[in-house]
Amino acid sequence: QDTFTLKLAETWGPNFPIFGDATKSMAQMAEKMSNGRLKIRIDSANKHKAPLGVFDMVKAGQYDMGHSASYYWKGKVPNTLFFTSMPFGMTALEQYAWFYYDEGMDLMQEVYEPHNMLSFPGGNTGNQMGGWFRKEIKSLDDLKGLKMRIPGFAGEVFAEVGVNPTNIAPGELYTALERNTIDALEWVGPALDLRLGFHQIADYYYTGWHEPATELQFLINKRVWERLPADLQEILRVAMRTAAYDMLIHSQHENAKAWANIKQDYPNVQIKNFPDDVFQAMYDANQKLLKEAAGNNEQAARIVKSLEDYQRDSRAYTRISDNAYLNTMAEIE
Amino acid sequence: MIGMIMFGVALIMLMFGFPVAFTFGGVALVFGIYAEGMDLFAFMPYRIMSVMQNTVLMAVPLFIFMGVVLQRTKLAEQLLTSMGRLFGGLPGGLAISTILVGALLAASTGVVGASVVAMGLISLPVMLAHKYDKRLATGTICASGTLGQIVPPSIILIILGDVLGLPVGDLFRAAVGPGVLLIGLYIVYILVLTRLKPQTAPAMPKDDDSISRGKEIRDALLAIIPPLALIIVVLGSIFTGIATPTESSALGGIGAVVLALIYRQFSFKMVWDAAKDTVSVTAMVFAILIGATAFSMVFSYTGGDYLLEEWLLMLPGEQWGFIILAMLVILILGFFIDFVEISFIIVPILAPVAEALGINMLWFAILVAMNLQTSFLTPPFGFSLFYLKGVAPPNVRTIDIYKGIVPFILIQILVLALIVIFPEWFGMSSTY
Amino acid sequence: MYWIIKLDKSLAWLSKLCGVIACLAMILMAVNVFYDVVARYVFNDVSIAMQEMEWHLYSVVFLLGIPYALRTDGHVRVDVFYTRWGNKTKAWVNILGALIFVIPFAYLIGRYGYSFALDSFQMGEGSGDPGGLPHRWVIKAVIPLSAVFMATAGLNMVTYAIRVLSGEKEYVGEHSAGGLA
Ligand code: NA
Ligand code: NA
Repeated sequence: QDTFTLKLAETWGPNFPIFGDATKSMAQMAEKMSNGRLKIRIDSANKHKAPLGVFDMVKAGQYDMGHSASYYWKGKVPNTLFFTSMPFGMTALEQYAWFYYDEGMDLMQEVYEPHNMLSFPGGNTGNQMGGWFRKEIKSLDDLKGLKMRIPGFAGEVFAEVGVNPTNIAPGELYTALERNTIDALEWVGPALDLRLGFHQIADYYYTGWHEPATELQFLINKRVWERLPADLQEILRVAMRTAAYDMLIHSQHENAKAWANIKQDYPNVQIKNFPDDVFQAMYDANQKLLKEAAGNNEQAARIVKSLEDYQRDSRAYTRISDNAYLNTMAEIE
Repeated sequence: MIGMIMFGVALIMLMFGFPVAFTFGGVALVFGIYAEGMDLFAFMPYRIMSVMQNTVLMAVPLFIFMGVVLQRTKLAEQLLTSMGRLFGGLPGGLAISTILVGALLAASTGVVGASVVAMGLISLPVMLAHKYDKRLATGTICASGTLGQIVPPSIILIILGDVLGLPVGDLFRAAVGPGVLLIGLYIVYILVLTRLKPQTAPAMPKDDDSISRGKEIRDALLAIIPPLALIIVVLGSIFTGIATPTESSALGGIGAVVLALIYRQFSFKMVWDAAKDTVSVTAMVFAILIGATAFSMVFSYTGGDYLLEEWLLMLPGEQWGFIILAMLVILILGFFIDFVEISFIIVPILAPVAEALGINMLWFAILVAMNLQTSFLTPPFGFSLFYLKGVAPPNVRTIDIYKGIVPFILIQILVLALIVIFPEWFGMSSTY
Repeated sequence: MYWIIKLDKSLAWLSKLCGVIACLAMILMAVNVFYDVVARYVFNDVSIAMQEMEWHLYSVVFLLGIPYALRTDGHVRVDVFYTRWGNKTKAWVNILGALIFVIPFAYLIGRYGYSFALDSFQMGEGSGDPGGLPHRWVIKAVIPLSAVFMATAGLNMVTYAIRVLSGEKEYVGEHSAGGLA
């Protein structure tokens, strides 16, 4: 029987926690389940030097597989945006249900298909935090003219309510926040933010709204996929799905641990919600931008509709189950 | 193994004197095609693109521009000779001034190409004109131009923070002590050397014997003010958050042009000529980066990184033996491989071992950072040495630079040893 | 020989043209960054498009600067033997280096850089950030463009070396960075 060695390029650096662990566990599972017939060699960003070139490299066949986040390709293929996480969108559980039991997966393949790739859910960070602010946001006015490092679609939403999205090289983020070159920044969540030390220089940690369930993606070149025998395809599919689900659990575990540490060692850090008028304004801005995106092409309109319909129905149940339970618990605790 | 052979071949090919950047690139090309085929080079556009989007490197052309304008308007000369005069009859005054200016630049940037070249432009001509020994002059410039890697803000520390999962702020604070000690010892070295061999760094002659020492000092201080003010504006803009370190280098360049206006040295031709020099020197620096990225691409895609991993796993598992051998390995690899590769490939292998031994990771990170900044200076592949050679006049030979840097490397090893033996001097502990 | 001289001069002209464009980009970049700092600090106004323009200009500086510096002999050499050698030996080093190293290297970067930029053009790639610049292919196309000029500058090293071998020209010392410092 033939053995296959697939080369995978990931957007992350070597030993990048949680994200990188998802890739590694996928590769290990695939190799063990196939009894060594399917080997996956992972190249991290330090090797290929193209963290945001993963899409192109898998498309061109320079790599067989990739591990990255779909919304990074927004500038290349705008409709890839919808498969990571949308502001005011679904929670991880709801979104996984959309992918695996509703139209999510089919729509995603439809978007990636012309680029000669298949795309699979690749792990979820869970709800991301809303970012580190050096000043408290008490009203919409406090957001006006605020300089914040916030990329992508969420940045556009913030821009609509008067924030100045600002580009800062990752290597200079810490210095820029520490010295007030920018007023705020958004990263991921406690486990990954802790490494960059933002809790030492900013007091206000806002809860999330813009990436409620950031899903990463495994990409695989279509010709490579078709070359694999059916059993290895199935093994790969199961390995990807298991690794993705495992990353969600892992994120929860690491974030809870990191948050406990921050709370203990840095009592200065305060958790804040954006005030209601701010949320309302951002929600309106988000609806407006979504409408604009859907107006531009038929495919986007279908995806947005599918997301909205599914979220409406799914959320109704979340409210009377998990949500109700957490609310009740909060009252007696 | 092919990666190791490639290093040897590159070393030999460099001796033929063909431009360094294209020797790296060309040797990589030959070995790459032989081992992996032409398509390996389909990765090159991505690698070039990652240099293009690395906006921190924008500081290189901008700082060079500032250096060139300061040099063309003679303001740099004025700064250094005046500082040198403050030392009166003391030999070595210019070298000490160079180290102090280098320390200031180090606090404003973490990009080696930027500070070494700017320092080379600003102070090498002045030191040579005052009959300084070529080796002392070039060694002083390379060493003080590389201080930016350990004096915060520093790219090495940011990368290590990421790789080791340590807060950047803690690393920045821990690096201040070693950085200051390094600066202090460079100055002590100059003082001792010039006491023993005054002819290597002659004292500044007085312009006019009839001037009193008091007036001389007053004149010197007045002359220092404008260029020093410029440096303070650059630093101040970072400390107050007006600009990021990269952006501050643009303030420096524009500020230098404004100074030229004030001193009636401005002309459009001066700015254009400065731009031409800047482009030429910047191209030299980036060609080396691109050649080197081709080189490291071939090295890692032919399995060089896996080989290194295997070797490192054979290091001993006992605290002092581990620390000493780990430092030696990084130092030796630093001769050949650039610091980003070391940080990403080697440090993650060493880190879990260090952690298991109960070693304080902050202390370990500072040791690695000290060691890595030395790697910019070690012949034959130390980038700082190439950069300085690129802006030096022809009578300064490569070999002068290679020899000039040796005492400074020894000082760095001394400081490294001090941090290893007396971590408490630097406010750290070696274990948890 | 006449046509070699003519070719040599035309090729040199190309590299100089690169130099002029790179110099313009250099000055514009300094002004661009300065403007962005002032706009942010004084007027509290940030434009992602202007911020992205910074690295576009900076890329032009070094990508077109590299062929220019080949012509001005601005690329640093290890001079352990090189400065001691006569004109003929230097000419041969430069001919072989240009033919074996520079031109093939430029060819590969140009070939793969072309499809890199073409792909971006076909996808209509633009910035993914709010208010960023469209038409990413333009800046990506500078990579193969730089490679073309690197190749002509490499050929230029050969034509100049031939003129040196014929005794009509000589290498005027070694002047890294045009004898800048
Ligand atoms: Na995020
Ligand atoms: Na620094």
